[in-house]
Amino acid sequence: MFFNEIYGAYYNAVSKILAKAVEKTVTPKDIRKIVEESAFGESSINIENSLFNEKWQLVTKNGDTPLENKPSLPLTTLEKRWLKAISLDPRVKLFGEDFSDLWDVEPLFAPDDICVFDKYADGDPYEDEKYINNFRLMLDAINRQYPVKLTTKNNKGEEKYIVFLPQYMEYSEKDDKFRVVGSGGRWATVVNMGRIIWCHPYVKPYTPNTNTKMVRDKETVVFQLTDERNALERALMHFAHFEKQAEKLADNRYKITVTYDKDDETELLIRVLSFGPMIKVTSPDSFINLIKERLIKQKSCGQ
Amino acid sequence: MAYSELIKNFNRSRDYMRQFFVYGFKSREEYNAKSTRSYDDERRRIESWLGEYMQFRQSAEGKNVFISIDSRLSNHNPLYKGWKAKSFTDKDITLHFILFDILYDTEVSLSISEIIDRIEEKLSAFETPMEFDESTVRKKLKEYIAQGLIIPEKHGKTMYYRRSDNTMFCGTDCLDFFSEVAPCGVVGSYILDRVGNHKKHFAFKHHYITSAMDSEILYQIFDAIRQKRQITLNTINRRKETITENHVVPLKVFISVQNGRQHLLAYAPRFDRITSFRIDRVDSVVLGDICEDFDSLRDTLTNMQRHMWGVSTQGRSNERIEHIEFTVTYGDNEQHIHNRLLREKRCGTVERIDNNTSRFSADIYDSTEVIPWIRTFICRITDISFSNKDVEKQFKDDISAMYQLYGLEGGEQ
Repeated sequence: MFFNEIYGAYYNAVSKILAKAVEKTVTPKDIRKIVEESAFGESSINIENSLFNEKWQLVTKNGDTPLENKPSLPLTTLEKRWLKAISLDPRVKLFGEDFSDLWDVEPLFAPDDICVFDKYADGDPYEDEKYINNFRLMLDAINRQYPVKLTTKNNKGEEKYIVFLPQYMEYSEKDDKFRVVGSGGRWATVVNMGRIIWCHPYVKPYTPNTNTKMVRDKETVVFQLTDERNALERALMHFAHFEKQAEKLADNRYKITVTYDKDDETELLIRVLSFGPMIKVTSPDSFINLIKERLIKQKSCGQ
Repeated sequence: MAYSELIKNFNRSRDYMRQFFVYGFKSREEYNAKSTRSYDDERRRIESWLGEYMQFRQSAEGKNVFISIDSRLSNHNPLYKGWKAKSFTDKDITLHFILFDILYDTEVSLSISEIIDRIEEKLSAFETPMEFDESTVRKKLKEYIAQGLIIPEKHGKTMYYRRSDNTMFCGTDCLDFFSEVAPCGVVGSYILDRVGNHKKHFAFKHHYITSAMDSEILYQIFDAIRQKRQITLNTINRRKETITENHVVPLKVFISVQNGRQHLLAYAPRFDRITSFRIDRVDSVVLGDICEDFDSLRDTLTNMQRHMWGVSTQGRSNERIEHIEFTVTYGDNEQHIHNRLLREKRCGTVERIDNNTSRFSADIYDSTEVIPWIRTFICRITDISFSNKDVEKQFKDDISAMYQLYGLEGGEQ
């Protein structure tokens, strides 16, 4: 039921091909274009041959279809059960969706069936009306690309007034927080949704500053890992969300290269420290020095 | 069997995808559990699904294949693609699209013989029309009834079939978000595929995507939990390459957003204990009888959570509960350290001793689980004590080893 061809890339691509074919004759070129967008690297030839050779009797050799309607599929029970499950998540209120049609559907899981045990305790207030309104306004501004004015509190607790063009929302499951990333202000701007005091559409004439799109500076750290106490698996899982490479150096020694955003260096530093002596940073020197500074300071604490 | 980019069973690909994504340092020869042909087929298949993310490196041992993804840059989990590669027959796909074209309108309700007539009518457009007998069509209809796509209706002695009227109603922003952050998010991705191209407005930081490969196992576990059923879990021990059969009552799924692992917390009658099982190590799940004690077992787990830092319900000492406390110091301009303790602790208490000192203390089942977090405070730990003295010694030895590693206590520079 879960792993089923009706959810597959081939069925999806064929559905799009047929949607086109009910309107006009399709060509091999049409098919190739759709398949490249909807299926896998080697799907093109399979799908094109199967359709034009009438192995799948849905398109005739001259590119017409006996189907009369654009293909469509109702929601499956699995999909409804999953939708019902997300309708019970507190974050769903941010989207203003109406799930009342699912009143008689058994959820795939309920909030009590799950425990996210290591997310931070100061997540955004998803039940708060003001937060919900700010979120919806920001999402609408992202969708329709209009500028927004807002005041927010910075790290020092000072109020800041900002006018910018919101581009996208970034969510961290660990922090349980949304940040909106915008452009057009004096700098590329990231605003914590939870820190917004008020926000409104900016209705005056607006000329966005150019070159203020978010560009993340990438850095690379290389470390040597000793595979004791299952450190290899723990580290590779822990750093799995980064672009990374692992190489085996000797029996229980590995070289791991992780690419990260410069802005997140302190966070990466403490994450590396959390592995204790199982990880030794080997480059760059600047990162090694950051580790050493912390260790020297720790020695002075007498532990 | 000839190579195909589609597969009948996901389990083997699940294993290879995990190896390529999480580890990625093994050469072809090291995948010795399977034949080299099967390795070549799997590698080619996964490359076909995830081409842009596959990378290769030549080492002394041979060519290494690995998947490298910066999940902050992907709006959607690329690993979901594997779930969209189920194989099918020529007849399956033909019948699927023709059937739903015939039953396009929810008002159209047809008997099996009427459906077969309409199918033949449609197929007459082809030089050599496929033939579908009644049992094939009936079997497919039965499949679609089970999936909730078709509704059977009996009028007199005849069964009629019509399409279900479950239409899509959820917006793409909501689906884009939850398909990434909710368990079994691939189901949201299935729905999104039908919507087609749309602008995506969400990115994800600290986003662990590996659990996508365990979606079906997780689905089966949830199904058992919802029905309050016992299950047989077959778990793989990768080091010993053995499979163990566990008869348990599944109670709750514990999800980590700091390493992406998912664990099932379940009651194991054999040991009379609630214990954890890594879901990525579950090979299969078989549903059993309903467990009458489900609610009370879950209450027990909820009470235990006060003493759980992670997923462990038992430490290595003889004490049932181990005590841990440590003190940190911070400057006048580092008050966020106190907030870090409050925000990041999962149980226990945080006390502010003075303006520059805070203390964390907790009574937990397994103090080894807290150690990685304590190490993140290195440079400000002024005092630390564990009731489990073996753990305390290990912690202090590790700190000394770190000094040595960086040449701060003699040794290399």
